[in-house]
Amino acid sequence: MNSIEAAAVPAGRAAERERFQRERRRAALAQFVRTISTVGIALGLGFVITLFVSDRPIQAYVALLTGPVSSAARVGTWIEDATTLTMLGLSIAIVFRAQQFSLLAEGQLYLGALVAGIIALKLPVPGLLHLAVAVLGAAAAGFAFGLIPGALKAYYGANEIVSTLMLNVVAVRTYDLLLTYWLKPPSAGYTWSNPFPADAVFARFIEGSRINTALFVAAALVVLTWLLVYKTPIGYELRMVGANLDFARYGGINVRRTIMLSMALAGIPAGLAGAHLAMGVHQRLLLNISLGLAFEGIVVALMAGNHPLIVPLAALLYSYLRIGGDIMERTAAVGSDIVRVIQATIILFITAELLVGVARRRRARREADAAG
Amino acid sequence: MPPGEVLAGIFSVTFAAGVLRVTTPILLPALGGLISDLAGVINIALEGTMLLSAFTGVVVSAYTQSAWLGLAAALAAAAVFSLILAFVHLDLRADLILAGIAMNFLASGGTVFVMYSLTGDKGTSSELASLTMPYVHVPILRSIPVLGPILSGQNLIVYLAFIMVALVWVFLFRTAPGTHLRAVGANPDAAATAGIDVRQTRYTALVLSGLLAGLGGVHMSMGYLQLFQRDMTAGRGFIALAAVFLGARHPVGTMVAALLFGTADALANQLGTLRIPPQYVQVIPYVVTVAALAVNAIAQQRAAVARQRRFQVRPATGE
Amino acid sequence: MNVVDALIEMRGITKVYPNGVVANDRVDFTVRAGEIHGLVGENGAGKTTLMKLLYGLEQPTDGAIRLRGRPVEIRNPHVAIDLGIGMVHQNFMLVQNFTVAENIVLGLEPRRRGLVDRPRALEIARELSLRYGLQVAADARIDAIPVGMRQRVEILKALYRGAEILILDEPTAVLTPQETADLFKAVRTLVGQGKTVIFISHKLREMKAVADRVTVMRDGKVMGTLPVAAATEETLAQMMVGRKVLLRVAKPPAKPGRPLLRVDDLRCVTETGHEALRGVSFDVRAGEILGIAGVEGNGQTELVEILTGLRAATGGAVSLDGQVIVNRPPRAVRQAGMSHVPEDRLRNGVATPASVGENLIVDRYFAPPFTRYGWWMEAGAVKQTAEQLMEEFDIRAPDSAVPVRALSGGNMQKVVLARELSRWPKVLVAAQPTRGIDIGATEFAHAQLVRIRDWGAAVLLVSADLSEVMALSDRLAVMHNGEIVAVFDEPQELTEEEVGLYMLGLKRQDEIGSLGPRASR
Repeated sequence: MNSIEAAAVPAGRAAERERFQRERRRAALAQFVRTISTVGIALGLGFVITLFVSDRPIQAYVALLTGPVSSAARVGTWIEDATTLTMLGLSIAIVFRAQQFSLLAEGQLYLGALVAGIIALKLPVPGLLHLAVAVLGAAAAGFAFGLIPGALKAYYGANEIVSTLMLNVVAVRTYDLLLTYWLKPPSAGYTWSNPFPADAVFARFIEGSRINTALFVAAALVVLTWLLVYKTPIGYELRMVGANLDFARYGGINVRRTIMLSMALAGIPAGLAGAHLAMGVHQRLLLNISLGLAFEGIVVALMAGNHPLIVPLAALLYSYLRIGGDIMERTAAVGSDIVRVIQATIILFITAELLVGVARRRRARREADAAG
Repeated sequence: MPPGEVLAGIFSVTFAAGVLRVTTPILLPALGGLISDLAGVINIALEGTMLLSAFTGVVVSAYTQSAWLGLAAALAAAAVFSLILAFVHLDLRADLILAGIAMNFLASGGTVFVMYSLTGDKGTSSELASLTMPYVHVPILRSIPVLGPILSGQNLIVYLAFIMVALVWVFLFRTAPGTHLRAVGANPDAAATAGIDVRQTRYTALVLSGLLAGLGGVHMSMGYLQLFQRDMTAGRGFIALAAVFLGARHPVGTMVAALLFGTADALANQLGTLRIPPQYVQVIPYVVTVAALAVNAIAQQRAAVARQRRFQVRPATGE
Repeated sequence: MNVVDALIEMRGITKVYPNGVVANDRVDFTVRAGEIHGLVGENGAGKTTLMKLLYGLEQPTDGAIRLRGRPVEIRNPHVAIDLGIGMVHQNFMLVQNFTVAENIVLGLEPRRRGLVDRPRALEIARELSLRYGLQVAADARIDAIPVGMRQRVEILKALYRGAEILILDEPTAVLTPQETADLFKAVRTLVGQGKTVIFISHKLREMKAVADRVTVMRDGKVMGTLPVAAATEETLAQMMVGRKVLLRVAKPPAKPGRPLLRVDDLRCVTETGHEALRGVSFDVRAGEILGIAGVEGNGQTELVEILTGLRAATGGAVSLDGQVIVNRPPRAVRQAGMSHVPEDRLRNGVATPASVGENLIVDRYFAPPFTRYGWWMEAGAVKQTAEQLMEEFDIRAPDSAVPVRALSGGNMQKVVLARELSRWPKVLVAAQPTRGIDIGATEFAHAQLVRIRDWGAAVLLVSADLSEVMALSDRLAVMHNGEIVAVFDEPQELTEEEVGLYMLGLKRQDEIGSLGPRASR
């Protein structure tokens, strides 16, 4: 190559790089727009349905769309709900990144709440440490529970969808058992525990809502999860196993250990979600502390494209709809369950769309390969 | 209650009759799950299908004052619901699990929403004068000592459920469409080269599974109970899937597994009065399923290793 | 050739794929009624494509097909089946948990009163089995019968659908010698009953034993059709392998050192019971390229997988510079000093959704400079290394963050090479390294292999591309049927036809050459 050509090459390369980065930004924007428009379409559909069932549809929908910011207390409730969903979304994002379909988050949440409750009520840990130990216990419970289906899948190839669904029930029943026969006041006619001691709760800070300091734990979790997935070797292993398992194995990654760890690590945010519900929102243990919240976590993760930093945004959006729906029901007598229908529409649109995109990309790659 | 009385209660005729009743809403969706799983498109939306049918049956029977129209409408709704799921997965290529979850949300929210709009009640449909499916008193069976009260006097759908076990068996193992369905699930390429339309077979499988789940849903709101409650299926759609795996993906095994789940449920309630926490008994089927899953997976692995070892000429001098 | 005799006449058949590959180039192919016709050639000669056209799996770009004198358009396999053409593929299309009878009648089950008539299905299976001499256990499950019987089930499937013409694609690849003999006997019975059989094969010895006539294809063209009696093995080999455009690789003479890779009596039986490796032994020395030539499917894939830790051996030993590496996990094998360029880069050579950078470090991400303190991954180090490697190995991509799926095949292979060679391995195993990539990238890859050899690595090159392996190898081994059948110390003095004779199983060295490789059992 002569000197003119040699100079041209780096210039050409730089231009290409520029173009690629611009393209990447454009694709991200397109994806964002797609997600937002999906939400928009779903909301539109919900409005059409509302038109049929309510004589004050506009008022109802205004309540839905502006309710959560109409008072400080409501904002508090919105953020509190989003906190739990963020943690659950992070949990799902971790396993789905590794392409493992573990649905264990619900069970991990319950066990996390249980262990936190036991430590809060039964373990006499001095002041400042009490909360910390309870939180650690919840995380550890979620982690340990995840090892079970993780090992079964990694070492014996057992289907994780079935095993995690079954184990969820075991976890919930265990929670019910211990709550009913050990943790609730013996002579009580109701089924919830005593309130947790003051040193084992997350302090609330907005009057009229249950938003609490676990918010900061959630924020920390977001950052930690992002670091885990993108900045640690384990995160790299998770991503490579999710990208191409044969490749990971060929490259030397211990695939079995990674699969098992993915389900266990996902238990940490899920267990902490349980701790949030037990020690922050309710500040006691009660039955049905989560009614399928983990499944909603799946929607949040889906909307966030399994990216830890986007999860809180998706959670805020999702919770906004949930709280808005409650408010709409209270003020305009339109059932809040319409929100469920909206959520379902969002999932269907995103999951059908995403994969249409993948098919398009797969085709493009195949063509490039044939030519190349 | 003294232990003696409780035990007497367990081994009583009413208990056994109760088990059959409790098993039905697990058995029917389980059969549906079985059909869909054997075709390779496991139906995660059984739960939502049951809810939708339970609700539709109640509403239509209340407004038409005909239980049979309620049943027909419920089954039609289940079929349409399943067609949507099938379309989204098979033609739009959405992920089957996620689409199933979405459909469950749709049913869960949609049913309560409509109920609230019709009756102003978010909890139950007790406002509506819905009907129930008839109870059947079988002339010869009812006079058999001991078994009589168990086998006779059950709701029509209970009988249908157990008859379905036989019909599903015949369908899967003795008819051509059922055989093709099993082939599609086991080896879609082989089926395709044999001239079987894989996509159409999967559509059919999902619709059939929806119909069976729908029938189970009708039983819940028009037999087991006489009204619709929000989320009344309480996870039976997922228990049904567990029953399929526990039953080794065979109609008879599924029936036995469903009976196991039903018995555990009924037993848990009885034992509750003995101050044995019902949860101990309630978890048994789930623990058993996980154990069975693990045992099965380990056994399959061992078999593969054994097959390899059979051919080993000389032990490898590596690790 | 009397035109009236011809049962099948394919004239001027050309098939060009969308990516430009010419699989069939003005092929003329005729089959007489009642004959056993062998269609032979190497990998990529075009024989499978030609039969796919006959069976309706593909459509010709140009040319015409006549059946029994009448022009036909075979749009899909159903049309082919209706015309009486049946094909048995290499990968069996059988439902594992169904019985033999159920598989045979699948899709066309006999009915009685609306239900499947199972006794009749068994009867049909037995009848067909008896009539055509293809012994099967009609009520046995597929997963419980040996491979040879599974193949007979496939043939019976085609016969049940009324096939008069049977196309068998590499049928003996998975059979034991006894099963092969049984198959040939059965084929003669079929022909005795008026059927016509076309064999696709690269095993010349077998074709000579069973076929009436043989058509040789090479590079998409027909080289000739001969009655088997008139064809000597040499003529056939020459037609098949022949003189191609000579590939010249500029390489200085090798300066081999001590053996770094020792393979001793390696054996492998696959999950289906097939003996893929029957006692393979050889050495590869530092600073040399040992090439393994052979038609694909003779055990090379299993050999490479065992050497690189991706598969367990059922017998034998492998050591790398003294360290035992057989039956050890991939990471341990890599740590011992092994690099692997895999034969299917899309399957395991790269992760297409991941970026170029991420792909380049999969073998080293856990150590400094990429990971510090055991738990922090340094993105800067990854980017720097990636850019350096992209420069060095001429990987054409705008940025190291580009997902690999956006790269062309050639560039993807460069990513693989960059990663595997930048490790400065003691041993490099390269399998089909230039498959599916353009000329420029091919030349580049060859240069890289020579470069690492000159640095002192022991290179094992496994390739089905005979010209490539002959041009690059310092020593050349030939694999056939799971064994090493020849080793040549001076491959530059060989002709492709000579090597072809060994590749096709027509010749075997009695004393496998000097320097390390022990005689195979």
